[in-house]
Amino acid sequence: MSARSPIRPGRLRRRLTIAFMLVAGLSGAALAAGSYLAARESRLDDSVERALDQSRFNLEFASSVLASPQSRTEAVRQLLDALERRSGFATAVRVEGQDFSSSISIRPAQAPPELVAQVRRGQLAYQRTEFAGVPYLVVGGRVSGAELYFFFSEAQLFDELGQLRTILLVGLALLVLVAGGVGTLVARRTLAPVAEASAAARSLAEGLLATRLPSGGRDEFGAWAASFNEMAEALEGKIAALSEAQARERRFTSDVAHELRTPVTALVAEASLLSVHLDRMPPEARRPAELVVADIARLRRLVEDLMEISRLDAGQGAVRLELVDLASLVDATIRARGWIDRVRVQGAAAVVESDRRRLEQIVANLVGNALEHGGRDVAVQTGADDAGAYVEVEDQGGGITPEQLERIFDRFYKADPSRTGSGSGLGLAIALENARLLGGDIEVWSERGRGSRFTLRLPPSLAVAQPLQSGDGPVAGGAQDEARNRVGG
Amino acid sequence: MDERVLLVEDDASIREVAALGLTQAGFAVTTASDGRQGLVEFRQGPFDLVVLDVMLPELDGFEVCREIRRESRVPIVMLSARSDTVDVVVGLELGADDYVTKPFELPELVARARAVMRRSGEDPPEQTLVVGTLEIDPAGFEVRRGDERIELTATEFRLLLELARRPRQVFTRELLLERVWNYDYLGDSRLVDVAVQRLRAKVEADPKHPTLLQTVRGVGYRLDPSG
Repeated sequence: MSARSPIRPGRLRRRLTIAFMLVAGLSGAALAAGSYLAARESRLDDSVERALDQSRFNLEFASSVLASPQSRTEAVRQLLDALERRSGFATAVRVEGQDFSSSISIRPAQAPPELVAQVRRGQLAYQRTEFAGVPYLVVGGRVSGAELYFFFSEAQLFDELGQLRTILLVGLALLVLVAGGVGTLVARRTLAPVAEASAAARSLAEGLLATRLPSGGRDEFGAWAASFNEMAEALEGKIAALSEAQARERRFTSDVAHELRTPVTALVAEASLLSVHLDRMPPEARRPAELVVADIARLRRLVEDLMEISRLDAGQGAVRLELVDLASLVDATIRARGWIDRVRVQGAAAVVESDRRRLEQIVANLVGNALEHGGRDVAVQTGADDAGAYVEVEDQGGGITPEQLERIFDRFYKADPSRTGSGSGLGLAIALENARLLGGDIEVWSERGRGSRFTLRLPPSLAVAQPLQSGDGPVAGGAQDEARNRVGG
Repeated sequence: MDERVLLVEDDASIREVAALGLTQAGFAVTTASDGRQGLVEFRQGPFDLVVLDVMLPELDGFEVCREIRRESRVPIVMLSARSDTVDVVVGLELGADDYVTKPFELPELVARARAVMRRSGEDPPEQTLVVGTLEIDPAGFEVRRGDERIELTATEFRLLLELARRPRQVFTRELLLERVWNYDYLGDSRLVDVAVQRLRAKVEADPKHPTLLQTVRGVGYRLDPSG
């Protein structure tokens, strides 16, 4: 069976049944044919034996009758009368060219010519023939110049053989039917554990790791069920251990981030005070102080990103839906971070129902990444099409190799390990997790030497239509919907 | 005279550096290291501003906020672990005026402190506004309905005043954040939503079915004097 043909349960069962029927039918047929042939042979031999015995006796009797001094004709008539009293055969006599017979339907001419030839040579001979629809065993012999032919009817013998054949055929048909029934039954019972096992394997594949087969059978299936269960046990244990390890790792990350938060808060506050006084520091202290301030900023980003990713892992993120215009959100995000001189922003207004804070974070991470790795000519474009709304962040930097592209969203993955940028290495991972939390995704296109393009795609929202003002008063400012809260993971 | 700030924060380093920053910015700072001590210090006030950490030993920041609001409408800024939790909303619902997310830079804290205090002070003298049955007196920082005096925090008062100055005009949340909270951009719109809820609870006959402070779905809020 080719792997591509559809799986049809019941096929094996049918095949087993047919095999059963074939084996039973063939062996039954061979047996029946053998016994029929043997019976036929022995019955036919028997019949010949008896006919020959009778014929020898008849011929002796005939020779004694024909030797009597009466006229030939008279003697023959006497002979036929005498023989007629014996049942089981009819007699025909040809003497001196004249034909006599004990029955109207029988004549010496009906004896087969080969037999006649043998008889004329003086042999006692027999042959089977058929006329008027009746099978006959004809035995012929010559005595005192007369040819005698005894016609033994074998109609009954062949009737009996025919009956035997019918009985054997009917028996064979019954045997095949019974074999079919038994085959179906046996196949069903034999294959039941297979069906069960395949159902169990399927539910195991669907993640029901506690699935087990009923064990305890002492046959091959019992052994199979036992090994299946062992496998399921091992699988369940392994997966439990893996997810336990993963949970532990995530808990650890979360704990580390939380523990770091308080000292980092102090450091950030201290650095912000220090940076005000940098200008007034003695030159030998100023550079180290600058470095401290910059490194604290880096540490802060790392800890904030760690906390963000562990929150996302824990599924604690609340999604707060409101109507957001992507164009103004992108503009505000880039202005707030002081990137407006380095980034080209274009595109039409695209209103989505989404989480403003998370969108800001995604846009900031994508643009920040483009500025850090892409370098010059970063362009951001917003818009909407049939697939939903999108934000495209494009740079003209060195691009990313296909191998790097595969890992670009991995945590702490750095395309160029020699570069220690100011990023935490978590920015893209966080952006992707957030995009997925909002029901969207991030696509990447990149070509070595030409640049990269990251596209945030958001699902088509029910509330994409720009809300219109209502009431009689003038509207101040842009549009924003009544905020709604949804706690989601 | 320097404005007096009460800073309640349990971590010694954060407390010291925040106090230092606020002092350098011209505030007179009193510090407390737990909630109970914070309340004790507060009662020895008066203060022009309270900066309150959420996670405090003894009495947490929410409890302290609730207690202070019972006695005073002093502006309160909460120091919150993160901006996306219920922490922020709970704090605002208990009457905090704004929040700053940890970690923060001191200029940010100082800017928020100044913005919050500006709301409670130095308003140009204005005439009393009458909106429906409400009487708003900017000079006396008072709201009355008939003989009943309605107690509002500084933020609530500024929000009501802003809406009442141009009745029936729809204000977006962004505009209100800018005018009332002094945010340039990217303020948290929950500040507006929670403040409007609190204001409704105080001035509406039936806060569940507001007639005075109306929501304009998809746009923002407006004040309808006929309501």
